[in-house]
Amino acid sequence: MASIPAGAEAGAAALLKREARSERARLTTPILLGLGIAACGVAQALLIARLLATLLGRAEAGVADLAAAAALALLMAALAMAQERAQIAAGEDAKARLRAAAFARLLAAGPQDERAVGEKSALVVERIEALEGYFARWLPAAALAVLAPLLIAGAAALADPVSGLILLGAGLLVPIAQAISGIGAGVASRRQFAALQRLSGRFLDRMRGLPVLVLLNQQQAEASRLGAAAEELRARTMRVLRLAFISTGAMELIVGIALASLAYRHGHLVAGTHPAPVSALFTLLLVPVFFAPLRAFAGAYHEQLSARGAAADLAPLLAAHTPDGLLLEEVPPKVTVTFQDVRLTYDPSRPPALDGVSFRVLPGETLLLTGESGSGKTSILRILMGFRRPDGGRVAINGHDVTLLRPSELRRLCSYVGQRAHIFRGTIRDNIAFARPEADDAAILAAARAAQVTEFASDLPQGLDTLVGEGGFGLSGGQAQRVAVARAFLRDAPLVLLDEPTTHLDPGTEAVVLDALRRLCVGRTAIVATHARAARGYFGKVLQLSAGREAGDRMAGN
Amino acid sequence: MGRDLARVLALWSGRGAWLLAGVIAAVLSTLAGVALLVLAGRVVAGAVAQGQPGAVALAGLGLGALLWLRPVMLFRPVARYLERLVTHEATFRALADMRVWFFTRLAARLPAGIGLRQAGDLLARLVADVESLDGLYLRVLVPAASALAVVVAVAVAVGAADPGLAAVLALPLAAALLLPVALAPVAARAGQAVARAQGGLRSAVIDPLSGIEDTLAANAEARASARVAAEGAALAAAQRDLARRAAWGGAAGSLLVQVALLGTLGWALVAGQSGLAAGLMGVFLAIAAAEALGLMPRAGAALAAAGAGARRLFDAADTPEPVPDPVAPAAVPTGHALRVSGLRFRWAADRPLVFDGLDLDLPEGARIALLGPSGVGKSTLAALLLKFAAPEGGRITLGGVDIATLPAAELRRRVTWLTQDARLFDDTIAANLRLAAPDAEDAALWAALDRAQVGDVVRALPDRLETLCGEGGLRFSGGQARRLALARTLLSPASVVILDEPAAGLDADTERAFLQTLDDAMGGRSVILIQHHLLGVEHPTRILRLAAGRAIPAAG
Repeated sequence: MASIPAGAEAGAAALLKREARSERARLTTPILLGLGIAACGVAQALLIARLLATLLGRAEAGVADLAAAAALALLMAALAMAQERAQIAAGEDAKARLRAAAFARLLAAGPQDERAVGEKSALVVERIEALEGYFARWLPAAALAVLAPLLIAGAAALADPVSGLILLGAGLLVPIAQAISGIGAGVASRRQFAALQRLSGRFLDRMRGLPVLVLLNQQQAEASRLGAAAEELRARTMRVLRLAFISTGAMELIVGIALASLAYRHGHLVAGTHPAPVSALFTLLLVPVFFAPLRAFAGAYHEQLSARGAAADLAPLLAAHTPDGLLLEEVPPKVTVTFQDVRLTYDPSRPPALDGVSFRVLPGETLLLTGESGSGKTSILRILMGFRRPDGGRVAINGHDVTLLRPSELRRLCSYVGQRAHIFRGTIRDNIAFARPEADDAAILAAARAAQVTEFASDLPQGLDTLVGEGGFGLSGGQAQRVAVARAFLRDAPLVLLDEPTTHLDPGTEAVVLDALRRLCVGRTAIVATHARAARGYFGKVLQLSAGREAGDRMAGN
Repeated sequence: MGRDLARVLALWSGRGAWLLAGVIAAVLSTLAGVALLVLAGRVVAGAVAQGQPGAVALAGLGLGALLWLRPVMLFRPVARYLERLVTHEATFRALADMRVWFFTRLAARLPAGIGLRQAGDLLARLVADVESLDGLYLRVLVPAASALAVVVAVAVAVGAADPGLAAVLALPLAAALLLPVALAPVAARAGQAVARAQGGLRSAVIDPLSGIEDTLAANAEARASARVAAEGAALAAAQRDLARRAAWGGAAGSLLVQVALLGTLGWALVAGQSGLAAGLMGVFLAIAAAEALGLMPRAGAALAAAGAGARRLFDAADTPEPVPDPVAPAAVPTGHALRVSGLRFRWAADRPLVFDGLDLDLPEGARIALLGPSGVGKSTLAALLLKFAAPEGGRITLGGVDIATLPAAELRRRVTWLTQDARLFDDTIAANLRLAAPDAEDAALWAALDRAQVGDVVRALPDRLETLCGEGGLRFSGGQARRLALARTLLSPASVVILDEPAAGLDADTERAFLQTLDDAMGGRSVILIQHHLLGVEHPTRILRLAAGRAIPAAG
């Protein structure tokens, strides 16, 4: 087995070991079946040796032996099929468990994890799939590569001790050759995965912005950059394989040496009549049977490296601390939000996003956050959404510190409309019901009306049941935003958080939506990040922010 | 399926030399492996036969074989190493070509965005399907060529001594060789199911992660996880089905090889002394051939997967181009006055008309403000002006030339559009800006950033122009990202600029300041400014309001 030096790989090894242990029961079946196949192979080799010796006039075998060999062939085919199924089953469980864990961690990390979506999806899909070979092929093959050759070399030794030793020696050379080529390959395998990850992340990113590329006549240039990235992937992968394939050549050399040694032992050294003709032919015929599990092991070796590379990428994600905290017994009907000298820094090399912000919003009140882009409006909302924990100060809801609550519980308290609503693939109705899946049709329709969604949906051939694509195909920016407002209506939560919800609306629509949003805010606690112009649409107190601090006095206004 | 795979091979033809070299190396290595076992068998058989009546010839053969054993033993590992190296090198080169080809095709076909095709699915297509094609060469063509070489070698070697035995031996082997082809259509269906399931899983992962804020805001974590688990289970079921079929193919293949082996033994037993030499060779050939043919059942599954991958790739790559370039393009116009007359358009036959007789005139250097509520078709007009869609009726001319007769690339060099959702790519600020002007000096980039009122923001960043933007410009606030996109548009050499809500996401003061300086920023270019409303600082030469599919002069 390759020893991989870097510290990150320790996590990978631990992860694979842990999963292998929990799959132990499922792995026994394919290993036992593999041993059965090897035993059948030995028995068949003996029968064929007897038949060959008979041809050469040195033994008495006949149709019965031939029939027995045929029966063994059928048995081996059946065992191989059973083994294949058992192997697949062994990988399935581990994959499902790890996939669920990885995806849950990505959701928990939320917008804080700034990796490209393509990169994240590669973790949950490709990286998990890369683990399959580890459980389905590598682990059974590794066990069989030790056990089956021992069984076969033992059988050979019973017939002729020297031949048994020759096979055993050849078998011992194989892992040595594997290890020598595997040490470098382990590191290179990680690089290959990094390249693959970048390639898939880059593609999704460029696909999403394809209109921009085409507009700027850059599609050809981008295609050649993609080609260069693919070329880099090729160079990296070939570096892995150049080493990995040395073991293939070494393996063939070992097979050749074993065959030649047996040929010399039984062909060259013997003068006159061979003392044990059946044994001589038997040990020779055992060579392909002996090397079959070792070949399977060599074939699976690269899968092990791939799995290790994948596991090294997954390990930090899976080891990440899942946000914990108290659960809400019930959603309170009224909430008071208090910020006390709250500080937040995203990136130590940049100025803090929030640098001592304090305010209080009571039930029925609306607080308007204004200020330039980057002044900290969105950061305040992110803390209240549980996407971020403040680095300093205190944020409380109804007097209780929000950091004690589990972030998802915090979100049960609020409805949220962001700057750019994400429209999921599905119907408009699905997209609204997303905010509260148990809502009935009447509630969805009421929310759609309140947010002016029905106004444009009624012009569509399928109305609210019109399919809208990922990214909101078929919906203009304003329409997508209205769907998001409808979600907030349907959600009916005590705390309303709005992040410049009317930025993309024209004045006509904006006025109507502002009216709807005002109604949404009535009787609830509302915090609205907004531009000065749109702020005139709300009634509430204004908190003007500048570089993460309050700028000037708080003033009453409308 | 055959046609798709033939088309894949045609796309690979540029890498023919590498691909052929790999096949030759594989054939040589396999034949060397067969020769090795046959030689060893001869040596031992010769020894065993020694002293037996009528076996002198065998013993002599055994000694000859001994001499050959060493060179073959040394040749085989080298050939095998070269085979694996060259075949993989060839595959990667061919696959890189395939990726670029596919991207280029999609760029011509889906310019208006991903639309109803899910991004997750497209990602599946490029990464997984392109990679499944490596199976076509590595796991189908190369093993098939090696296996064919073995079957032919066996038939020739044994056929020279005894044609009857050659038939007993070679026919089942040939059947094992052809088996994957026969099983491929069934395996193909299973392979398609796996590919579909994988696409489904990827979409289930990507959709909630793309809208992570909305997903979390709706407390939809459990729902998203349940969907991922369900799609994962569907994928596992599809993979299980595929494996089961592969196992059947594998069992059938190994049984056919056993038929050849045991048939040869039976033939030799019946033939007795007269067929001894040929029979012995046949048995060892059959044992050696088992290894070469052992890879063939897997070839069936690989063939099916490659076929399914190729089908999906070509499905996406062969969607008709929305606006194909003219076959005989007109001469490029010298002027850039834009005129729209009698324009009719709708997005789909079952959707209402967006434009019905729209007329618009944009003389050189003019600045039109185009107003109207969202959804009225302001952005659609821009899409038509840039040939992202073709009008149903009416004409659009640039410098007096109908744009339908201009190549899209020429048109887009002269007319550019800052879209509402202009994306920043996950690259540096400089790389994002240079998309518009690949040869621009840093000074030009700074000038554009300053004109877009974002120069000071970038100057304050530690990496300045080399700062990474994050996916979709995530590292910047909405307003900052918008201004960076604007700077990119300002760098474009186009003489007509369509600004679609250029100040959306900017705070009021910046918006006002920006629109005030728009005249300077634009120089002498013609401008179509798409806005919900005017702030009163824009000074357009004309104001038009879109309503009922037409452009109506308005007062602002």
